[in-house]
Amino acid sequence: MKDILMGNDAIALALIHANVDMISGYPGTPSSEIIGNFQKFKNKFKVEAYSEWATNEKVGFEVAYAGAIAGRTTCATMKQVGLNVASDALMSASYIGLKGAMLMIAADDPGFHSSQTEQDSRSFAKFAKIPVLDPATPQEAYDMVKLGLEISHKFETVTMLRPVMRVCHAREICEVDDKLEFNPAKGEFQREISRWAAVPPAGRFRQGLEQFERLEAIKEYNWTELIAPRVKTLKGAKTLCLTSGTGDGYVKEALEEMKLEADVLKFDMPYPLPKEKIEALFENYEKVIVFEEPYPCIEEQLSSPKLHGKLTNDVHKIDEFTKDKVLMAFSNAGLIEKNEFYKSEKYADELPVRPPNLCPGCPHRDVYYAIMKVFKKKKSIYPSDIGCYTLALNQGAIDTVLCMGASVSMASGFSVADPSKTVVASIGDSTFMHSGVSPLLNAVYQNHKFILVILDNSTTAMTGRQKTPERENPNKIDIKKVVEGCGAECYEYDYTPNVDKTIEFMKEIKAKYAEATGPVVAIVREFCVLDKERAPEKLPHVFAEVDQDKCVACDICTTQYKCPPMSYNEDHKIEIDPFLCIGCAACLDDVCPTDAFVEVKK
Amino acid sequence: MKYQVVIAGIGGQGAVFLVKVLSIAAGLKDQKCLGTENHGMSQRGGSVSCYVKVGDFHSPAIDQGQADLLIALEGNEGLRNIQYLKKGEGTIIVNADSKFPDIEYETIKIDAFAKARKKEFPIQALNVYMLGITLARDPHFPFSVNEIEEAITQMNAKMAPKNIEVLHQAIEDARDI
Repeated sequence: MKDILMGNDAIALALIHANVDMISGYPGTPSSEIIGNFQKFKNKFKVEAYSEWATNEKVGFEVAYAGAIAGRTTCATMKQVGLNVASDALMSASYIGLKGAMLMIAADDPGFHSSQTEQDSRSFAKFAKIPVLDPATPQEAYDMVKLGLEISHKFETVTMLRPVMRVCHAREICEVDDKLEFNPAKGEFQREISRWAAVPPAGRFRQGLEQFERLEAIKEYNWTELIAPRVKTLKGAKTLCLTSGTGDGYVKEALEEMKLEADVLKFDMPYPLPKEKIEALFENYEKVIVFEEPYPCIEEQLSSPKLHGKLTNDVHKIDEFTKDKVLMAFSNAGLIEKNEFYKSEKYADELPVRPPNLCPGCPHRDVYYAIMKVFKKKKSIYPSDIGCYTLALNQGAIDTVLCMGASVSMASGFSVADPSKTVVASIGDSTFMHSGVSPLLNAVYQNHKFILVILDNSTTAMTGRQKTPERENPNKIDIKKVVEGCGAECYEYDYTPNVDKTIEFMKEIKAKYAEATGPVVAIVREFCVLDKERAPEKLPHVFAEVDQDKCVACDICTTQYKCPPMSYNEDHKIEIDPFLCIGCAACLDDVCPTDAFVEVKK
Repeated sequence: MKYQVVIAGIGGQGAVFLVKVLSIAAGLKDQKCLGTENHGMSQRGGSVSCYVKVGDFHSPAIDQGQADLLIALEGNEGLRNIQYLKKGEGTIIVNADSKFPDIEYETIKIDAFAKARKKEFPIQALNVYMLGITLARDPHFPFSVNEIEEAITQMNAKMAPKNIEVLHQAIEDARDI
């Protein structure tokens, strides 16, 4: 039957249709909706399946992997940088293999839409020596979930599905199974110590040899099942385009629209490739161009003087694909003249930039504003972390962003490297649980003196408000106890939308820091304004407007506080956009030096 | 049939809702449809641009100079995406006031913010309002009022009566543009 599905809906539905009954992962754009949708479909179809948000990607991977060792059909989801966290487990799992089946979904983000790197998980699969499938559309993602689990079971290996953002968040009318027959495999761990606990060097040496044999078998499968049927459809043009994933769609559309002659051979499984068999095809072509994103994963597996791609500087090396880039590659390879069909002039005048910003009424804004007021910029270093609060960059309240949990360890490093400054680090509650605990333990262990502000809104807000450990299990998990368990001093503040009070709290923290010998931790109990359960009762619904006579256009609100409804009007006075103001009333307190923000009289 | 739409706006204005409605409408006509949405970082009040491609396409993204229609939920976001419109053929349906500049594309302009401020329709329905203007004023728009009504109903039956009311109000208002 036909169904209109976003890529991540299609993936979740296919997981249920493929009998996956154990799934774990950590949210990260563009992968986040997979587990949420799995839960939705699970409830809709009333099937028994285990699904969880893990504390981080490594934990999620290991939970799902153990399930597959015990014979179940499982899945772990993450974004591409989450794979870095899970990679320790993956590298060993690739040697050991499994009994049931496991699909590892790593969603990539060519073009850096919501990520700090553009790394290619297909290249990671190559490094880990596991097969990877690369869908081009939601329909293919649906089909490849099933294929990936088949391959995983057949070859007893973790298999990767690598959808990019333009698949995860694409929407397509898909053909999906009419009927659901949910028959999950039974979980039954069978002791096999020489396999599940292979000891180096002999045990792992043997598994390393098996890994090579397995790869050869998968290459053969890739050829006979996936590549050879497509080779038959090649028409004998002079140019061959090798494609993978979304690259395929851009190439096909560009060829059709520009009426260019070329054969297209798409690889559903870009690793492992049967190199010799593919290279033998090149004999019939004058030129071969590889279209893939973002890294040259296919290109690095092949060699031929006829080959054009990223390594020969003919195809773009960074950013998302466009059809214009396909034409550019054709032109660079000497096949066509320079062609600007897919180019058009941008609007010539300068347009006001609209970077993403913290939501109106977001408590993070007040906390950063208070940090900046109390810990002056010249005398402080502000390491921060990955989450909505990274947007406090707009307030000038963040100096470094590296990766999940790095705020804490970098605070340690800065406190050693530049002891003349006060290091004020910030991290969200979900990120702290993900990878902030172990660096905090290290800081106590080494007596590193800094301030860590944990912004606890009890949700993973940026990725769609998934539940955090404390939220899910409030009577058992308490961040304060975790911090105290690490041996750090901990102070708690129950946030209210009153800037004066938040500044007062930061002043107290400053006083505690003056006397401290190790890390001082402040937990600010916040809420997310998009949190339908908590925000309505936390927000006072008192709206602000500007007393135009009092506004002196000093820029403080637009540069240091940065609430989206505030902007200059034609008279160069600040105005509050009533469509955007959420009624938090925080700006009525300390933000304006001339008290121009006043309550809207009903 | 091939018809490509860019929807531009600000995170929170409901551009994704329009992608869903147009995909459902395409399904009702038994047309293929590929679209793409913004989630995550780009949702936080930043610039948002979504694509819908109705007909036989392979890739969800739209290149410069290719879109038949640009629905701009805000004026500057419309201008920021103007290069996606087809030269000489593309239409922009834009929520903007009289200060919106003259551009070399067919422009249908309405100050929807002013109407919302006057409480003529709720600002949360801005997306549906602009879709109504599109239905009334883009002669090449591939969907009928009935198909869009049906798509809105399939999308969210509970909210549909209110949304359809706004849709029709926009169609009425479009007469005065």
